[in-house]
Order: sequence, then structure tokens, then C-alpha cells
Amino acid sequence: MKRRKEKNKQKFTIGMRKKLVVLFVLVLLAFVGLGVRLILITKNNGEEYQKQVLSQQQYDSTTIPFRRGEILDANNTILAYSEKVYNVILDAKILLRDSKYLDPTIKALVRCFGLDGGDIRNYLSEHPSSQYYILAKKLTYSEISEFQGLITPGSETYDENIQGIWFEESYIRKYPNGSLASDIIGFTSSDNTGMYGLEEYYNSTLSGTPGREYGYLDDDSNLERTTISATDGDSIVTTIDGNLQTIVEKHLYEFNEQYKNNAREGNGANNVGCIIMDIHTGEILAMASYPNFDLNNPRDTAALIGMPAVDEKGNKVKGESVYDSGVYITEEMLQNFTDEQLYQNYNALWKNFCIADTYEPGSVAKPFTVATGLESGSITGDEVYNCLGKLEVGGWEIKCHNTYGDGAVSVSRGIEISCNVAMMYVAQAIGVNTFTKFQKDFGFGLKTNIDLAGEARTEGLTYSASNMTSTDLATNSFGQGFNVDMIEMITAFSSLINGGYYYEPHVVKKVVSSSGATIKNIEPRILRQTISQSTSDKIIEYCNQVVAGSEGTGKTARPAGYMIGGKTGTAQTLPRGNHQYVVSFMGYAPASDPDIAIYVVVDRPNVLYQDDAKFATRIVRAILTEALPYLNYPMTEELSEKEKAELETLREQLVTTAVAEEEQEENPEEVTEEAGETEEETTEAPEEKERNSIWESFDKDPTTGYYVDPSNGNLIDPDSGSVVGGDELPDFEGVPEEAASASSSN
Amino acid sequence: MERVRTLRKPKVESYIDYSLVFIVLFLLAFGLVMLYSTSSYEANLDYGDSAYYFKHQLGPTIIGLGAMLFMSYFPYRILKKFAFPIYVIAAGMLLLLIPLGKTINGAKRWLYVGSISIQPAEVAKFAVIVFSATLVISLKKKLLDPKGFGTMLAFPAFLSLLVYGITKNLSSAIIIMGIAVVMLFVSTPGYKRYVIAALSVLALATVIVLIVANSADSSGMNYRFKRILVWLDPAAYASGKGFQTIQALYAIGSGGIFGKGLGESMQKMGFIPEAQNDMIFSIICEELGLFGAIAVMLMFLLLIWRLMVIANNAPDMFGALLVIGVMGHIAIQVILNIAVVTNTIPNTGITLPFISYGGSAVIVQLAEIGVALNVARNIGR
Repeated sequence: MKRRKEKNKQKFTIGMRKKLVVLFVLVLLAFVGLGVRLILITKNNGEEYQKQVLSQQQYDSTTIPFRRGEILDANNTILAYSEKVYNVILDAKILLRDSKYLDPTIKALVRCFGLDGGDIRNYLSEHPSSQYYILAKKLTYSEISEFQGLITPGSETYDENIQGIWFEESYIRKYPNGSLASDIIGFTSSDNTGMYGLEEYYNSTLSGTPGREYGYLDDDSNLERTTISATDGDSIVTTIDGNLQTIVEKHLYEFNEQYKNNAREGNGANNVGCIIMDIHTGEILAMASYPNFDLNNPRDTAALIGMPAVDEKGNKVKGESVYDSGVYITEEMLQNFTDEQLYQNYNALWKNFCIADTYEPGSVAKPFTVATGLESGSITGDEVYNCLGKLEVGGWEIKCHNTYGDGAVSVSRGIEISCNVAMMYVAQAIGVNTFTKFQKDFGFGLKTNIDLAGEARTEGLTYSASNMTSTDLATNSFGQGFNVDMIEMITAFSSLINGGYYYEPHVVKKVVSSSGATIKNIEPRILRQTISQSTSDKIIEYCNQVVAGSEGTGKTARPAGYMIGGKTGTAQTLPRGNHQYVVSFMGYAPASDPDIAIYVVVDRPNVLYQDDAKFATRIVRAILTEALPYLNYPMTEELSEKEKAELETLREQLVTTAVAEEEQEENPEEVTEEAGETEEETTEAPEEKERNSIWESFDKDPTTGYYVDPSNGNLIDPDSGSVVGGDELPDFEGVPEEAASASSSN
Repeated sequence: MERVRTLRKPKVESYIDYSLVFIVLFLLAFGLVMLYSTSSYEANLDYGDSAYYFKHQLGPTIIGLGAMLFMSYFPYRILKKFAFPIYVIAAGMLLLLIPLGKTINGAKRWLYVGSISIQPAEVAKFAVIVFSATLVISLKKKLLDPKGFGTMLAFPAFLSLLVYGITKNLSSAIIIMGIAVVMLFVSTPGYKRYVIAALSVLALATVIVLIVANSADSSGMNYRFKRILVWLDPAAYASGKGFQTIQALYAIGSGGIFGKGLGESMQKMGFIPEAQNDMIFSIICEELGLFGAIAVMLMFLLLIWRLMVIANNAPDMFGALLVIGVMGHIAIQVILNIAVVTNTIPNTGITLPFISYGGSAVIVQLAEIGVALNVARNIGR
């Protein structure tokens, strides 16, 4: 100890102590300086930084997508569903943490997803700090399951060297039946928003609530990660019968195949639409139009070819002459389309013809005129009118389709042979006030409020009592001069034949939660009573004559083995004299006790002479021949040999239906041509021989089989007696209100 | 030892600096609490155990307390004999890093003995304190010659260069040099040369900053120069090199006067990378506010003040120099750490003594406090 003390005698000097104090003062100053700096940061930037910190926190949560509800048909067949898909995301920062991760990860990516390893390496070297890069999009679970095993700790194939890859979930909308019911269903845009049809109308029902995954601090200030799972959207069960819908679409397609590129290059008609409705509930059983489109690929330009082109307002582009039905889209036109033009035409394709397009209904309006007369007491139904082929009303000479006159026409015969003159007399008896009131009751000029997006607004397309002239009344009586859409017509017609109950039409009958529980049942809703039961019975009686009567204009609509009723229509379009027609048939089955209504409209068939309702009745016949047995209605009529053979071939086809339909969807070029249709015409013809009208004494044109009027050379349809394509009526172009001319009907 | 004690016991009561012990224990406990608060989120994410860093710090802290206790009974005068061996061991450990060191984040900083990792740079700090004190004692008056002065600077400079050359750890190298300079400053009379040296360093730094700031192209620059650019305008590099700095500033600024409360930090959730290391002070600011931050700074100031008092009353020059070395070490690290966190100087990795995560550091720092306590024990003897 002593030794040590001697050695270390060196003491801490006063000078050193002073310097030590100086050092301490320097340290003190530094501390003060830093303290001041801390205070300044808090004071000057505190608020801004606080906001920054809070705003940064939000990035810490992620959104979990919801699953969009399904769309089912009445038999719970899936029409639309959402499938979970996965995007493969590369987090370069995590992958590049250690070089040992690189090779195994890239190898696994190449093996599982067939990605190009070189591309990934390039990306990694160029963006080493990227945290979000999509390597592959929309893979199904089976495609990712192998890789999922590699990155899931605890699984057998887990490889800890595979890093920086994760899967982002999302959903894609799938339509297993392709184009089936495309107009009703509609589709979704990429952000899960419905476009057109049910997808748009029921968008909020089908959409769920996205979930969220986020971190928060619990009471003990631990960070908890919490997941609020997404609420999946509700599913909707429609009233559509998938099988019936398939039958309808098959025949619309066949019609198109038969008449496309016939008189002109283009589809079989500008539009063909068909609605089948349950008249006791207002449920839509089938609704289709042609052209349709593939819901899985709505932007397929091939579907546009043959359609009449439309301009920016959605109106059809006019052809060079008034006789042209439109300008039809061809391959070359598509190539020259601007994006805008392309979308105009897509919109024309995607919209639902059955609810969105308005037209003059033509003679299918005649039952409404008669019903109005009977219900209002203006006529008794026992009246007999004298048809001279024309009637002068308000200074205009308005002609019947048979300009030679049909002589004595009772109310019943007026419907059966579709006599314009008789209807004009009925309308005169009704008067403007009652006529317009009943039109409103039937819903003309009002929306039906069907639960589909895009229903046309028809307000203003009908007359009100104050602005209706006697000429307007006369032309309205046979369905010219006012515009309707298909759903309006069939909804009103259903009320004529079901005892007068006007049901609100609907497509969805049930909303079901994602777990399968029923959330809402949509019951049939009667809006009003249009006519009485007795009037309804009389209308059925008259309409049955259209198909069953000897002079009936709708005989060709009768399916083999059944009796139906209905009314044909051949409406002139504007401008008058353009030889353009909208032909239609509106009917019901069975004839004795109607259950279902069917309405087929052919807008400007692709034929030389368009004014022939048979273009519509044949479609009705073809559809009902298949549909009525499917709906289990017993046959009431005897079958002719021809019909037996026809049903036999049909049955053979039905066996292979499933296969045939598959092919149709994938390869629309392959068509199974049905020969029965054309034969039908000839079989019906001989039965009409009993008739004896003036025009039947004319000579027949050898090439067309039509009669020729010796006085002016006009061709006359042998079935109806109407002048073919001959608009001998004055052209009222420019003043359509008065125009109302009329060789409507069939 | 036994003999020494039995001899002394009847004469004087041995002096124990309780306030120093209390301050150190307070800082350690506070440090562990803050470490747990700061690291639990990331620890849970990375290791599935929110107490991962806490547990790994607790062991070295207990070992460090043992080392402190041991050193407080270990007569400091004996260290003089071990000065050169300690210096050689420190240099040897640094050299061992070249073949044995494990590369983590691009630098070799840790030696692995089994599962224990040692940071030789921390050992070098201790070595430089003991060796410089011994050198000052042995050089005596020669210290005033340029030659002696040069010798006094050369040995720490060699160690410092080794640290920088091998571990690429500029901050440790600066601290080692800083400790030597502080000891030299106190042990030699006169201010002139220190003022000149300080001014010339300042001038050099200014020139470098001006050159870097005005250079048009920063792409080819050394990362240290880039840090200067970041320092000048951290917001411009917010998503890259300035991320840590700007996030630390957000943390400080968002804390306010009394902070968000213990454990309530938001910035620790991934925004400040490895906040438990260099940036722990910013989380203290965020959770405890200006109040907590200044309280912590006051504790450090008290610690430094206690060390100054011990040095002033040290029984001999060697003891005083040892305590001055410890004081310099702690003061430099605290000042530089807080300066970095507040972006007062460019970013360089310096930990906060007793609080930041790091086993070797806390053991060495506690051992140094033990030496100071031993010096205090001998006061008045």
C-alpha cells in the first residue's frame, strides 16, 4: 500500500480542476442547446408532425374485398357468381434482405406460375426497394395452392427461403352460361359495379361491405391486429326459368341464322325480342333479344357485326334511302370506329331491347281498343261494321290493310282479321276522353317499374285527351301514332286476359343472404284493375279466334298439339312509306284458361317485304312447341302427320340439347338449321282456300306466289290480302301526329 | 484486497457515491422500460415475442451490474499495470473481426463466442480510457512537448483507425478519439491549441458541407456525404435515406409537452426502423413528451456532474483521469445521440448510454461506472 501511494503522488492540480469545470460547462451548454432544439421542434412543427404521424397510420390497414352476391334462376341454377382470385405480389425489399432467398424464391415462382425468371431478376435489380409489384393476375386457388404450401409455415412443403411473395385476394364475376339472359343479367365493370340489367338495378343488394384489417393499441398498449371480415353481398333469385330462357334464345338465334344477310347484309332483323310472363303474378319467365352478347366478354366486337350502327345519341344511323333499315356494322366499319363510336354501339348492344326500345305497336293494340269499348259500355260487342277498305276521318282517308274492303265485320271478326275500319268505328264510339283514360289504365305512357335497369321513359309518347284529334284517335285504335315498349305491352295484355288485374312486372322473387337465409320475398303486386272479368272473358274469346278462326291472322302461331290465343301486329314505322315494319305477335296459352303470355317483336326483318307478321308468329310457334310441353301443359289438339314428324325430330334434338347448346355458345357459326319452319307455311296455305275476297280473284305472280292487282300492279299477300310493300297511302313525313296512316295489321 | 480492507477499516468509513448509484440504476430501469415499450411491436412481428429485445437486454444488464460491483471493489490503481495488455487485447479483438466477424448489414461489428456476441468497439472505448490515463501519468511533463503530445494522440488514434477501418463504424471511432481528446484537454494547461483545433475542425466541416451541398450530381457520392445532404433537407429524402431522420422528427414533434403516454407511441410501429437502437430517444420524446425528454437529459447531466465531483475529489491523478474518461465517454455519446435524433448533426449510429439496446455497450458502460465508484471509494484516503 505504501509503495503504491508513493508512486501515485501525482495529484489533481487546481488548473486541471478548472479545466474540468470548463468541460462540464461545455457539456452543460451542449445539453441546453439540445434542449432548446427539442423545444423548438415541438413548438414549431408539433402540430404538423402530429398530423403526419396520424396520416401515416392509415397506411397500416388493408381492405378485404367482399364477395358479390349470386344471381340465380327460378330453379336455383347459377346465372352469375363471383370467384375468388389471387394476384401474386412481389415485395422486393423483403426478398432482397438476404441473398440466400433469391434463388429458391425465383425458382419456385418459375415452377409454379411459369413466370420468366430473367424478368423478375431484372425487375429486382432495377427496383430493389419496391414493395408492391404484381407478378401475375387473377389466378384461381388451384393455381396458387402449390406455392401457398411453400410459404405457409407449418405445411409439409414449407420452405423458409421463399420470401417476399404474398397473395392479394380479389373477386371476378363469372357467368357460367355465357350469353344466356345477357340482357336481363347485365355485367359488372372491373370495380364490381353493375352495368345494365339486374347487376345494375340490384347493385346495392348484390354488393357487400368490404372488410378491413388494421392494427390498434389495446388497453395494455399492445398492438393488436384486428380483422373485420368483409360482409358478402346478398344473392337474388330471379323468376327467370333457365330452360325456358334457353328455348327462347335458341329460336331467336335460329331466326337470325335463317334471315341474316338475306335482303341486306346484316342480322336477321334490327332487333328480335321475346318476353314470356306469368299472367297471374307478373313474373317474367323469360326475356331475351337478339343480338345478345357474351357476359364474360361483353366487349367482343364480333357481337356488333350485323347490328345497325347508332350515332352519339343512340339513334340508328340512317341509310342512304328511306327504304334502308339502317347502316349495318361490318368488319371494315369496326376497324374505322373511334373508341367513342365503338362504345355508342356497345351501349346499343348491351341495352335490353325488351324494356328500352319504343315503337308503334300496331295491331296488337286492337284488343285494348275493344276492351276499352266493352268496359266503358261504348260498345256491347254485338255491333257489326261495314268495312269498305277505308274510312275518312278528320279529312284523312285512312285505309285498311285490305283496301278492297271486308264487308260486314263484327267486333269479333274485327280482331280476327285485324280490321282497321272496325277499330276506328269502335274508337269513335269510345271517344277521346275515355280512350286516353283507359290508355293510362293500361299503363301506356307510364313506366312499369320492372326491376331492371334501363327501362324506357314513355311519358309523352301517348296522347292526352286535350291534344288528341279525331284522326289521332282513329290511328291509335289500331296501334299507330303512339309509342310503347315491349314490357308495357305484355304487362297490360296480361291484365286483359287474367280478369283485369294489372300486376307490376318483376324479375326477382327472393333476396337471399350469403348464408342462404331468405331476407326478402318479393310477392306479386297488383297495381290496379284495368277491366272486369266479363270483358276479359270476351277478349280471350276474340283473341282465340285470331289463331283458331278460319280467317285468323295468327294461325301460324299455333304450336303443334295446343291451342293458343293472341293478336298479330304489323306496324308501320316513320317516315311513312319507308317500307319498314315492326311485326309482332302477342299471345297466351293455353287458349281456354290462360296462364302465360308471350310477346315476340321483330323489328324490321331482313327480308324484301317486311310487312308480314308471320316472321313473329313462326317464332312464337317454335318457342311454344317446345315450351308448353316443358311447362307440363297437356296437349289438347290432335296432331297432324306433319306435326307428329316435327315433334319427333324435336324430341331427337332434345336428347342432345345440352351438347348442342354448349357448341352454340362456343361456336356460333355451327347452326342446326330447323327445316320445319318453312314447311309450315305451305301446310297452312291450303286450309285457307275457303276464303273469298276480291283480291283472291286476281292473278298470281309466278315467282312470289302473291296475287297481282291488275289496276296498279301491287303485290297482295295471299294469307292476309294486304298489299305488300305498297304504301299507296300519302306520306305524312314531317307531321307524324297527323300521319297515322295505316296498313297495319295482319 | 483482504489485507487492504482490514488495514483500513478502523481508520475511515469507505465513501460510496449513492447518488451516482441511484442515477445509474434509475437510468437502467427507465431504459429497460422504454426499450420494452419501443421494441415490443417489432419484436412481436419479427420474433413472435414482444419481450424479445427486453429479455436480450436484461441478461447483459445483470452481467453489467455484476461488472459494476466487481469494478467498484477492484482497486483502480491496479488497472495501471493492465493498461497496455488491455490496449493490446482491444486491438487484437478488432483485428480478429477480419477473419471471424460476421457480416450483418454490410459491416463486420460482432465477434461470436458461442451464442454470445461481443462488440470489440465497445471494449476499445474502455481500453482507450485506461490506456490514455496511464499514458498521461507516465508521460508527465513530457506531455507538453509536441512529441509527447503526439504520442498521447497516436495510440488512441491507432485504435480509432482500427475501429473505422474494420467495422466501418465512424461514430465509435469519433467517440474513441473524443474520449482521448477530452482527457488530454483536462490534463494539459492552456486553451489556445484546443480552440484552434476546434475551430479548424469546424471550418473543415463547414467546407465539406458547402462542397457537398453545392455539388450538382449526388449520385456518385459516398454515402457519408449523402447523409450530409439528408441532414440539410431531410424532407427531400423522406422516402429514402432521410426516412429514419424525418420519422424521428415526427415522433419528437408529435409528442408535445407531456407526450402521448408511456407505450402510446405510433411511430414505433414500423415507422422508425430499429427504434430501440439509435432512435430510442425520439420514442421517449413521443411517449413522454418534452417533459420526459428533458428529465432524461437532466438525469444524464446529474450523472456527468457526479462524475465531475468524483474526479475533482479523486485521491490521485490517475483516478481523476479515469473518471474524466468515463465522464467524457458518456457525455459525448449522450450529446451526439440527441444531436442525431434532433437532426442537429448528420445521421450517424450512436446509441444512448444505459437506454439503447446493446449488450456489450451496457456491460462496458456499467464497468466504467464501477471504476468511477471505486475511485469515489478512495476519496479522502
